[in-house]
Amino acid sequence: MSAWTAGLAWIEASPLGEALRSYGVWTYGVTNLVHIIGIATLFGSILILDLRLLGVRSSTPIPIVASLTAPLAVAGFCLAVLSGICLLAVNGSEYATNPFLPIKFSAIALGLINAFVLHRTKAWRAIRAGNDGVPKSLQLRAMGGVSLACWLTAIGAGRMIGYW
Amino acid sequence: MKSSSLRTVSLSFLATFAVALPAVAHHGWSGNGEEEFELSGVVETPLSLSGPHATMQIRVDSQVWDITLAPPARTERAGLKKGVIPKGAQVKVQGHRNSDPKRFEVKTERVTYNGKLYNVYPDRT
Repeated sequence: MSAWTAGLAWIEASPLGEALRSYGVWTYGVTNLVHIIGIATLFGSILILDLRLLGVRSSTPIPIVASLTAPLAVAGFCLAVLSGICLLAVNGSEYATNPFLPIKFSAIALGLINAFVLHRTKAWRAIRAGNDGVPKSLQLRAMGGVSLACWLTAIGAGRMIGYW
Repeated sequence: MKSSSLRTVSLSFLATFAVALPAVAHHGWSGNGEEEFELSGVVETPLSLSGPHATMQIRVDSQVWDITLAPPARTERAGLKKGVIPKGAQVKVQGHRNSDPKRFEVKTERVTYNGKLYNVYPDRT
């Protein structure tokens, strides 16, 4: 048994899994709904920020866009992760051979790494210091593009899990 | 937006939706055979109402088949509640077999146990 399969089995066998499976016929649906709300919040916010990074509506300062979107994106992400763990706890081992699950997790990991790296770029630090006069930075555009690609891939793979 | 282009957009949207409707009506059944498929066997894993679909497993000779039923609430409404059909019970399932011959799965519409018919998709013949 691979580590992946063992990991999924472990989550499913957990007390969390036992509890969720015992609650009733609407539990999975509600958990799934919370997951979707988290994803929608995350993606909607990230979309706006990434479009701005790509140069759309460049008259609006990036710090303003970021101040509105970043906290929402983080909140959505947390909601998605917590509900996602619950979903796996219900019947995660059923997806042990489903290729879309590792694709989704890889895309999420890349999205997170990209966000982390973005925060460390000179361009981003300059913006945070109040210098939004940074010329249309190729770095920012690239990271906005990578971000969009990662989160779209994560959403796409996540949706396709059910159709494998 | 000009009223004429708004009307065009709205009509296009409605037309697309109307064309897509038959596809929506068959949501979830593609990937399975067109013909009705029937299987009789012994319950290996009793009914689970936890996941996105209610499931159980039956054993036919030496092969274990995955029985995928309707969403849990609907399955329960059809009378298939946890514990109704015990492990080891003889059942007959009717539905559509997964098109992939390597997968032993039936997207199931009706289960017959102990002379009683449980129809989880009554709108499907």
